[in-house]
Amino acid sequence: MNWSGLLQCTAVEKNGRTIVSDCYYEGAFKLARPIYLHPSQPTIYLMHVGGGYVDGDRYKTEISLQKQARMIVTTQSATKIYKTVKTPVQQYTSFSLNDQSVLEFFPDPVIAYEKAKFYQETTVYMKESATFIYGDIITPGWSESGGLFRYDWIRSKLKIYHEGHLKLFDHLYLEPRKGITGIFKMEGYTYIGSLFVVSPLITKDVLKKFEKIAAHFPNEAHFGWSTPVVPGLVVRILARETYIIEVIFQLIHQLIREECFQEEPIFLRKY
Amino acid sequence: MLDKLLPLLQLCDSNFPSGAFSHSFGFETYIYNEKINNEKTFREALCAYIRTQLTYIDGLACRLTYDFLQKQSKDDVWRLNEILAALCLARETREGTRMIGERMWKLCREIYPFEIWNDDKEKRDYIHPAIVFAIVCDHLEIPKDITVLSYLYTSVQTLVQNAVRGIPLGQTDGQKLLVFVQPYLIEAVQTIDALTEEDLGAVTPGLEIAQMQHEQLSVRLFMS
Repeated sequence: MNWSGLLQCTAVEKNGRTIVSDCYYEGAFKLARPIYLHPSQPTIYLMHVGGGYVDGDRYKTEISLQKQARMIVTTQSATKIYKTVKTPVQQYTSFSLNDQSVLEFFPDPVIAYEKAKFYQETTVYMKESATFIYGDIITPGWSESGGLFRYDWIRSKLKIYHEGHLKLFDHLYLEPRKGITGIFKMEGYTYIGSLFVVSPLITKDVLKKFEKIAAHFPNEAHFGWSTPVVPGLVVRILARETYIIEVIFQLIHQLIREECFQEEPIFLRKY
Repeated sequence: MLDKLLPLLQLCDSNFPSGAFSHSFGFETYIYNEKINNEKTFREALCAYIRTQLTYIDGLACRLTYDFLQKQSKDDVWRLNEILAALCLARETREGTRMIGERMWKLCREIYPFEIWNDDKEKRDYIHPAIVFAIVCDHLEIPKDITVLSYLYTSVQTLVQNAVRGIPLGQTDGQKLLVFVQPYLIEAVQTIDALTEEDLGAVTPGLEIAQMQHEQLSVRLFMS
């Protein structure tokens, strides 16, 4: 079956520097030349050449990091999903992380407009020694009338296979028509941010440092954090503005780069 | 049916020592923050809980297990168990569920000599209580919808008992609530019946955040 957009790429480590060795894309997906915001770690920007996702679109992205490769992946702009009357938009993303590879994945927010139906599934196959960092933001979208939460539904799944075993499964399902704002749901907030880190480098010591910075997260955010079955960290945030979530993501990302890798922070400047 | 009623009553009895009374599954965070502070606020939360967590995780897990056992596909039961462990991102709630599941497994193994308990060859470090409940009911030939409904009832019963202690509420209020939720539980069984494995685990962010925040609460009556 044809994909509306397909992208495949592989990153390899050569003499202490990661390069994008293989890259293929077709349809609406495109990849710009990697940018080295860090001298040895490329940042790639996933691009969608159309204005957004429409009825029946199906997208697939497959990114593979070989041993010790390190890469930062982001998008060029928000993922916009327009009205889908017939077939929901489907987006499948998979990452294979070999020994000691490090992937930092921070896509722009998902914006689902009026009557949008969106299914996204992200699957990670990782080695125990690899590191996976993923920050995801879902916005309430809006309609011409200015109302929020006018999309039909969003379903977002994340499956992390750690040495071949499913160790982290996140399944977020938002269907505004059935009520979304109340207790247990959005609690009156409008934006959801989810940050997942799976890494052997998330030690008790790093978690203690995290707890310290978490005490100073912006007051406007309602958040909780915990630790999954495998070494790592999960943070769920509710807020009323995107940038509050982005600030928190940036603080955590910076902490992990400093504490786990002794690296400077990276700023994914786009605009 | 008479012979099936008694084991079911025993399994659903609040005195059945599963340890569930030590866990609030995030409710205590709301009580601590005074979002749940009386019969009305608790009732609304309980209904929301039935329609979210109990429908898409516990209830659906129970029904799927029952279906898998009927089809003799035990591998699917253990695969489901793995998914349920991976699904719970809040550590305390995950640990609490694991402890309850383990206790039920050990206890039911003692009281019912089923072959399936010996299936525990590779050491399982997690067993979800919904799976144990479905295993017992399947072996006792209790119909599926009654199995799921009973499981939902035991979960709600525990939460109500805990609310009586934690908020606190009067004993009579607690019993009134158990009558009030009955149509919601029946509705949930019907919803669950129409779901598939693809629907499993559709969590709601607010409840999950409360379950996570519970780890940092300074005063706690419950372990989760």
